[in-house]
Amino acid sequence: MAEAWQFLLRRPDLLSGWTLQHLYIILVANGISLIIAVALGIWITGRGREKIADVVLYLSDIIMTIPSLAMFGFLMPLFAALGLKSYGFGVAVTALVLYGLLPVIRNTYTAIKEVDPAVVEAGRGMGMSELQILTRIKLPLATPVIMAGLRNAVVINIGIAAIAAMIGAGGLGVPIFRGLRNLRMDLIITGAVALTLLAWAADGLLGLLERWLTPEGLKRARKR
Amino acid sequence: MIRLEEVTKVYPDGTEAVRGVTLQVAKGEFCVLLGPSGCGKTTTLKMINRLIPLSSGRITVDGVDIYKVDPNDLRRGIGYAIQEIGLFPHMTVGENIATVPRLLRWPKERIRRRVEELLELVGLVPPEEFSKKYPAELSGGQRQRVGVARALGADPPILLMDEPFGAIDPITRERLQDEFLRIQAEIKKTIVFVTHDINEAVKLGDRIALMREGRLVQYATPAELLAHPKDGFVRDFVGADRTLKALRLLRVREVMEEKPPTVEASKPLAEARERLERLGVNFLPVVDREGRFLGWLNRTNLRPEGRVAEVMTPYSVLATPDTPLNEALSLMFESAVGNLAVVDGEGRLRGLLTFRRLHEVLRESYREEGQG
Amino acid sequence: MRRRIVFLVLLGTFIGLAIWITGIGKLGIYSTFTGQDLLRETGVHLKYVGLGELIAIVVGVSLGVVVSRPWAQRTRLSTVVVGAAGMGQCIPSMALIALMAPILGFGLWAVVVALFVYGLLPILRNTYAGFRSIDPAIIEAAQGMGMSRGQIVRRIELPLARPVIMAGIRTSTVVNVGTAALAVLVGGAGLGRIILTGVLSRQPLITLQGAAPTAALAIVLDFLLDALEDRLTPKGLKVKKSQA
Repeated sequence: MAEAWQFLLRRPDLLSGWTLQHLYIILVANGISLIIAVALGIWITGRGREKIADVVLYLSDIIMTIPSLAMFGFLMPLFAALGLKSYGFGVAVTALVLYGLLPVIRNTYTAIKEVDPAVVEAGRGMGMSELQILTRIKLPLATPVIMAGLRNAVVINIGIAAIAAMIGAGGLGVPIFRGLRNLRMDLIITGAVALTLLAWAADGLLGLLERWLTPEGLKRARKR
Repeated sequence: MIRLEEVTKVYPDGTEAVRGVTLQVAKGEFCVLLGPSGCGKTTTLKMINRLIPLSSGRITVDGVDIYKVDPNDLRRGIGYAIQEIGLFPHMTVGENIATVPRLLRWPKERIRRRVEELLELVGLVPPEEFSKKYPAELSGGQRQRVGVARALGADPPILLMDEPFGAIDPITRERLQDEFLRIQAEIKKTIVFVTHDINEAVKLGDRIALMREGRLVQYATPAELLAHPKDGFVRDFVGADRTLKALRLLRVREVMEEKPPTVEASKPLAEARERLERLGVNFLPVVDREGRFLGWLNRTNLRPEGRVAEVMTPYSVLATPDTPLNEALSLMFESAVGNLAVVDGEGRLRGLLTFRRLHEVLRESYREEGQG
Repeated sequence: MRRRIVFLVLLGTFIGLAIWITGIGKLGIYSTFTGQDLLRETGVHLKYVGLGELIAIVVGVSLGVVVSRPWAQRTRLSTVVVGAAGMGQCIPSMALIALMAPILGFGLWAVVVALFVYGLLPILRNTYAGFRSIDPAIIEAAQGMGMSRGQIVRRIELPLARPVIMAGIRTSTVVNVGTAALAVLVGGAGLGRIILTGVLSRQPLITLQGAAPTAALAIVLDFLLDALEDRLTPKGLKVKKSQA
């Protein structure tokens, strides 16, 4: 512990660099993933798409079961075969986008499916267009649940991004990996502790965001 | 005015939900679609605002074919309330009621005024307070009132209501029905109202369209429907306790005993006793010199000395000749003597309603039914 | 049915890839791992997961039963434990396994303890949730019929909570197949060794040679535990599910 502290005092620039790199990867990956997942989640709730929904949800389920290290193992030869750089940022972000999908797709899908049909019928009966029903009723009601999915996805991806350091993506996995290979305890502890704190901080902040984005009417309903 | 011409709905699996229904609802008229579940009444209702597409036939609103207008524009001009209410849980009561005015892009100030007006109309006062509440903070009855207010949001000339009071406890339901009748008297909308409850239909409707298996069986006023059911089905649906329902349609004046024996308040008790014994009754209505009803003289309260006024029981309930019989019946249960005094506007005793007389009326209609 | 087809296609692909790469033998100056290597590392991988899970199940279910008792609710012990488990689940697997090395030294122990801790949390959470979701009226009825506390736990609560507990075990196992791939970082072996060799030598195909069996292992265990979960669900609960 003391060694880690000393390292921190000696090279604070390194730690902040890794942290920023880590955050950058997460931001890009989960940003892309959020857009795809929400769009896909909404799309598969459409009438007559139950079978597609089933397959999409099952496929993203399967993606979640594939260990992240194995996922990198699949993507690297794939990138190589496509003539892309089989190393580093691109592969890492692609994997994280895939891992970020399931929690958000699943939550978006479930939340929209669970909107009370009477509420939707009332909206339609009063002359709301399908788009208005989506943007004014379904999405606001689904937001807290979608946010919970995003929170889950971000926390998972912070962990996976650390493993991505092995394939040269940078981030907080770098000191851990380097420390383990060179038996530098200070590096291991610095990296592992910073990584954990980052995950907790993301979990806490996204939890706050989730609560902040919950419509007031739903909060009061829950209190009852 | 709403006109349905040979309206038919056939689902892709071949089931015929509605077959050749033709009916007309005049402006300002309250039409009730009545029938057992699965008879096609809700389907019929939802075809009017195109929530369910027509298979064949034609529906016109004020002479315009509903398929000639954009469905959303059509719906914004027709109020819609359903049993599940479907209030938007993330919006305040005010925002819920403002839904259609907002869709129609009314100016803010006008919307605010309209919301207050409607909250007052449905009895959610003070409006400033209720307007800021969320649906989760309301009772079931209050939510249903908001549902009605929301349907009235942009002051549509037509209202479609699908069992709006169906999921509410009986006492609150009665109250909401009464209130709604009062509101309707004020706003005079053209209403199509779905229910499976015959009592509700009789109470609310100007006309009742009785449906069975997708067909319109009888379209008539409540009195006609009860008095002259068109076939066995209508009779069955109207039910075994049809006589009780018929009580609604009878007035006290039609069954009361006119010019009943009375006793004057200023008479000595000895004279009153003699009169009671001669008539063989235990109670007599007490009146003043002008014939105004004062109360009841009970045989058990008689004393050797004194005057009627000193021992009489003042009345607690009264009926007028125009009181519907079903209300009179429940008033009789509250009356101390089991009989009901009927007085006119000046308070003069016009007649008596007795259980014996009521029983006779009920028996007569049972007999009629047995023969029919 | 559709799901079974997807599963079989994926499994076939993974195994096919592994066999194909093993058959190549030479990749420039590198040679691929032999079939024997592959089987051995798979065995080691399974051993890690099995050992970690076994301890995690025993500890997790017991702890879950304890914290779902009424006295634990009253004393807020359950709030603390479940809250801590939630925080623990946020800890990245890489951080956890890396921290084991300075504490326990490199080798088997670091791996098994990390897998145990990481596998414990979903099981504990689900056991607690499973017990909490039981209708109190059922427990009251059992008490009213004179069942002892131990009988209620064994005959009533455990069977009712079993599907949820099994779901926790399944999640925990699948996650740990992935975590066990990191064992190589703290002096262990397993399929992670093959992947890492590929990464370090920049030979994507060797990486794939390790990745394919790892993924196969994960989806097979997921599939088997799903089937087990289904079989262990009391029939009465299934009827309700299919009607809903």
